[in-house]
Amino acid sequence: MTADAHGDADVALRVRALESLLLEKGLVESPAIDEIIDLFENRLGPQNGARVVARAWSDPEFKARLLANATDAIVEMGYEAVQGEDMVVVENTPRVHNLVVCTLCSCFPWATLGLPPVWYKSAPYRSRAASDPRGVLLEFGTAVADEAEVRVWDSNAELRYMVLPERPAGTDAMGEDELLALVTRDSMIGVTRALAP
Amino acid sequence: MTRVITRKVVQGLYKRTGTARVDADIAASFKAGDGIRARNINPTGHTRLPRYIRGKQGQIAKDHGVFQFADSLAHGGGKQPQHLYSVRFTAQELWGAGAPARDSLYIDLWDDYLEPHDADA
Repeated sequence: MTADAHGDADVALRVRALESLLLEKGLVESPAIDEIIDLFENRLGPQNGARVVARAWSDPEFKARLLANATDAIVEMGYEAVQGEDMVVVENTPRVHNLVVCTLCSCFPWATLGLPPVWYKSAPYRSRAASDPRGVLLEFGTAVADEAEVRVWDSNAELRYMVLPERPAGTDAMGEDELLALVTRDSMIGVTRALAP
Repeated sequence: MTRVITRKVVQGLYKRTGTARVDADIAASFKAGDGIRARNINPTGHTRLPRYIRGKQGQIAKDHGVFQFADSLAHGGGKQPQHLYSVRFTAQELWGAGAPARDSLYIDLWDDYLEPHDADA
């Protein structure tokens, strides 16, 4: 179901109908719904991944730990949740551009990036990110040099992947808090680069 | 018994409760650098071996350790813990000579999906 096929009002009405049915039948308690909204609106999301990236850009020892054992380094920062049990972080460099996809469904690292965007779950992204990654990257405005290697990571099994984007030029004087604003969700999936300052 | 979703159930999502990693001393069939071919299997039910990988030649990039096997779990066959590897395939092996020569795809594959393949043989 996409936003094109159903207006927001339509979806909201459907969600409200489902919510009252589940509550009336006693299948879900109301505080559980508040908790799950808080979880995905405030606690899990790309703001966590951005903190991990900004720290890796600022702290070489943390970056080394993150690339060697992403699970432990991310838990060390306090980001722990389902769909982030076993993590791999891959580093973009001038020679290697990494891109994450789940060709079979929509596997995504919830603890650091939250829920996947709609396009990530779409059949065209899932097939073309694997078969024509450079074409997909260009559609996101990301040109990768011919002499660089594009690496696609199909997160088909039990591990969840996140990209450590390249630190943008001209950011040497910036601290972690300033760097945070340059790290987007899409840059941690690998479809774009981090923002220029 | 109907299971009711309470606030406590939702709070369980903050924990890394769902790891598929298994703490077991099981021998690995492959090591980093080994050449492999993905088996051409076509199970009726759930599998994590996508069609575009079946029959293709690749190289073990990394041994992730022992994980429960998603296919057997889905089919009621238990965890069947075994090694899970990051396997590298060249874009040209998967998509033909027209694909960029340097590009590659990494995917996680269990022992049961793999057979040895010596690229030089």
